[in-house]
Amino acid sequence: MSPAPLLELRQLVKNYGGVRALRGVDFDLRAGEVHALLGENGAGKSTLIKVVTGAHAPNGGTITLAGQTVSGLTPATARALGIACIYQQPALFPDLTVAENLALRLNVPSPAARMRWSDCRARATRLLARIGAEISPDAEVRSLSMPEQQLVEIACALGSGARIVIMDEPTASLTQKEQHLLFGVVRDLRKNGVGVIYISHRLEEIFALADRVTVLRDGQSVGTHPVAGIDEAGLIRLMVGREVAPIYPAAESAPGAVVLSLNQLGCRSSGVSNVSFDVRAGEIFGLGGLVGAGRTELARILFGLTPADSGTITLGGQPLTLRTPQAAVAHGIAYVPEDRRRHGVVLDLPIAHNLTMAIHRRLFPTTWLRFGAERALTLDYIRDLAVKCSGPEARGGSLSGGNQQKVSLARWLATKPKLLILDEPTQGVDVGAKSEIHKIVRRLAKEGLAVILISSDLPEVIGLSDRIGVMGGGTLRAILPGGSDPHVVMAAALGTTA
Amino acid sequence: MAATPPAPTTGPGTWKSRLLSHEMLLFYVLIALWLFFYFAGTTVNRRGVTVGFGTLDRQFDILRHSCEIGLLALALTPIIITAGIDLSVGSLLGLCAILFGQLWHDGGLPIPVAAGLTLVIGALAGGLNAILITALRIPPLIVTLGTYSLFRGLAEALTRGSITYTDFPASFLYLGQERWLGLPTQAWILFAVAIVVGVLVHRTTFGRAFRTIGFSPEGARYAGIPVARRLALAYVLAGSIAALAAIIYTARLGQAKADAGTGYELFAITAVVLGGTSIFGGKGSVIGTLLGVAAIAVLKNGLACLPVVMRMNAAEEMSGLLTGALLLFALSVGGMPQLWSGFRPRASATSPLLPPP
Repeated sequence: MSPAPLLELRQLVKNYGGVRALRGVDFDLRAGEVHALLGENGAGKSTLIKVVTGAHAPNGGTITLAGQTVSGLTPATARALGIACIYQQPALFPDLTVAENLALRLNVPSPAARMRWSDCRARATRLLARIGAEISPDAEVRSLSMPEQQLVEIACALGSGARIVIMDEPTASLTQKEQHLLFGVVRDLRKNGVGVIYISHRLEEIFALADRVTVLRDGQSVGTHPVAGIDEAGLIRLMVGREVAPIYPAAESAPGAVVLSLNQLGCRSSGVSNVSFDVRAGEIFGLGGLVGAGRTELARILFGLTPADSGTITLGGQPLTLRTPQAAVAHGIAYVPEDRRRHGVVLDLPIAHNLTMAIHRRLFPTTWLRFGAERALTLDYIRDLAVKCSGPEARGGSLSGGNQQKVSLARWLATKPKLLILDEPTQGVDVGAKSEIHKIVRRLAKEGLAVILISSDLPEVIGLSDRIGVMGGGTLRAILPGGSDPHVVMAAALGTTA
Repeated sequence: MAATPPAPTTGPGTWKSRLLSHEMLLFYVLIALWLFFYFAGTTVNRRGVTVGFGTLDRQFDILRHSCEIGLLALALTPIIITAGIDLSVGSLLGLCAILFGQLWHDGGLPIPVAAGLTLVIGALAGGLNAILITALRIPPLIVTLGTYSLFRGLAEALTRGSITYTDFPASFLYLGQERWLGLPTQAWILFAVAIVVGVLVHRTTFGRAFRTIGFSPEGARYAGIPVARRLALAYVLAGSIAALAAIIYTARLGQAKADAGTGYELFAITAVVLGGTSIFGGKGSVIGTLLGVAAIAVLKNGLACLPVVMRMNAAEEMSGLLTGALLLFALSVGGMPQLWSGFRPRASATSPLLPPP
C-alpha cells in the first residue's frame, strides 16, 4: 500500500445556514482503487462532492491530497490539482464540437497562442479511442445522447491526467451495453493508478466494480468496508441505521371504496412504465423510492402535466384521460408539488390569491371577484391549518417554508378533491411544522380523502402510510404494508432482496 | 381600483403607503407638469386673445390626440401584466384603417357594418399572435416583432403604398372631430374601454390569471389556470382594441392610410411602463396607464406651447428627450429602495432558525 492516499478527508463539516449537511465525514481514496460512496437521499453525497471539487468551502475538517493538506480549494485549483468530476448532467457546450469542448478544457489558456485545431482533433480522436467510444470528434455535442456526452466527459478527465475521478450516478441513463463500456473504462482508469469515487444507488454495480465502499448517513460516514467483506443486507443496514420512532399519527378507520385505480400506466417521455395500484378513500398510499425512481413523474401524469401514453386511470369508477391540469382539477385531483417556491406558491402574490387560485370557478362563478368571500375563506384556512402570517394580504414569499407548504396544501383542500397527491410535503420544513403537516394529512385521510404521499424521507413514508408502493426505475417495484421494516423498503427501492 | 379589505394598521394598505404609491407619485408629477405649462406656456397674442397651453381648446385637443395611443396603451396593459409584449398594435392600427376604408369604399358596406368587421379582423389578427405565442411557444417579443412587419407590409401592399381613403360622411367624422356632451367624442370611447379593461384587470378572475401568469407562468399552470387561453384572451382583446383605435384615427383625420399609427406602439409601451406596470409582469394598474398616457400627452403638447421651444422649432425633439428622461426617472425612483438597502449593512443572509432557501 502506498504511504499516503490520493485523497483523505478528516472530520469534514459543511453547514448551510443552520442545516448541517456534513457533520464529520472521514474518507480516503487510494491510488488505483474504485471507492463507492453510498447513502440515502440527503445523506450528504452531493455536498461531499461539492466540497471536494472546490465548489463549496467546508466549515471544518481537513482535505489532504497525496499527503499535503490543501485549503481554499476552488473549482479551478481542484481541477489543476488533478480532481475531475463527471456529473449526471454533463456540463459541455452543446453548440461546440467534441474536439472543441475538449480543447476548451484541456488547453492551457494563453491569449497569444494560436489554436492548432488539427492537434486538438487528433487528441480528441486518441482519447475517445482509449475509452472505446465511437464518437466523431467533429460531432456537435448537441447531437450526442446523454451517455455519449458522459463518455466525452470521461475522455476529458482522462486527457487532463486527473488522478482523482468522481463519478456521480454515471449509469443512471445508460443502456446495458453502454454500462459495460463504462465499467471497462473505470477498470482501465484503476489499472492506471487513478482513484475513482463512484456514486451509485445500484448495489450490484458497487459489488461488480468497487474495491471499498463508504456509507454516509445524515451527513456522517458510518463505515468504510472492503466490498469483499460486506453483503447487501449489511450495506442496507448501514444506510438505514435508525429505528422508526412511533411519533406518527395512526390510522383510526379502515379504508373505504377504491377511489383511484391505475392499470399498466406508462408514459414514455417521462420514463414511467407499467404502474398498477389502487388507492382507497381514507387511505394514505405512500410512494417511496430514491431520487429518479419516477414518483414525481407519476404524479405529473396523474395531474395532467405530462399525459400518459399507455394504460388506464380510473377515478371513482370512471376511466379518465388527463391531458391538462385543468382536467385533473375538474375531476377532483389535487397535486401539492415538490418545488414549493416555483410551483406550489406564487411568492409575489398574497396568501388569499394563492389560496383561491384553483377554485376561481366555484368561488367566483360569474368571474367577478368577491373580495369578502375570498378573505373569509382564507381566514378559515389560516385558522384551520394554523398558518403563521400577518394576514390574508401577506405575500407568499414572506412565509417560512412550512407555512408556504400549508398555503399550498390549503389551495388544494379548498378544491374539495377526491384524491390528494402530496409530493415531498415536508422537505425543507422544520420539525414542528413537519409534525403538524403529518397530523393534517392523517386527519384528511380520516375525513375520507384518498392520499398519495410521495416522500424520500424513509421514516415518514413508513410511519404515515397505510400501504407503501416502492418505485424504482420508473415502475412500481413492490407494495408493502405501512410500518414495514425500513430495510425491506430500502431493499425494494434498490431493487434487491434484503 | 385595488381591493379594499379592512385596513391593517401597517403594511401596503395604509393611507401613507397609498399616498406614496407609484400611481399617486405619477399623479403629482402630472399636476406639476400641467401647472408649469399652464403658467409658462400660455400667452396673449397681439390681438389680445389668450393662446397656448392654458386654453380649453388646447386641452380638448390634447385629449383628442391622446385617444389612439391611450387605447393602445390600454390594450397593452393586460399583456404586459402577463409579462408579455405586443409590438404589432401600431402596425395593426394601420392595417385595420386600410381594411376599414376598403370595406366601406370598395366593398360598399355601411359604416357600422364596416366598423364591426374591422373589429373582428383586429381580433383575428390578435388571435394570430396568440396562436403563435401559446401553441408554438415563441416568445411574444419575437412573434409580435414579426407581425409588426407583417401587418404594416400587408397594409402597404393593399394600397400599393399610394391609395388613401377619404370623403367619409360627416356622421362618421363626428366621432373623430366633434364634441359630444362637451368632450371630444372619441374621449368617451377611451373612457369606456378604460372602464372595461380596468374591470377586467382588477375585478375579475381573468385579471387574477393575468397577474399570476405574469409572476409565475409555471406556478399558474400548477394551479390549474388555463394559461394558454388566458394569454390568448389578452392578445385577442389587444387586437380588437387596436382596430377600434384605427377607426377613431380614421375619423379624426378623415382619411385611412397605410402608415396610420406608425411608432404608436412605442409611445403606448412607454405610457404603460411609466404608469407603473412592470415589464417583468405581475404588477400594474389601468389607472397608472391612463396617468402615463396623460403625462406623455401633457409633456408633448406643453412643450410645443413654450415660447423658447417655439423659437427653436424643436418641439418634437424636446418632447422625445423629456419623455425618455421622465420614463428613466420614474423607473429609477422605483428602483431606489433596493439601491438604498444596498448601502445598509446587511443582516446575515441566512438565519440559523430557518431552513435554507
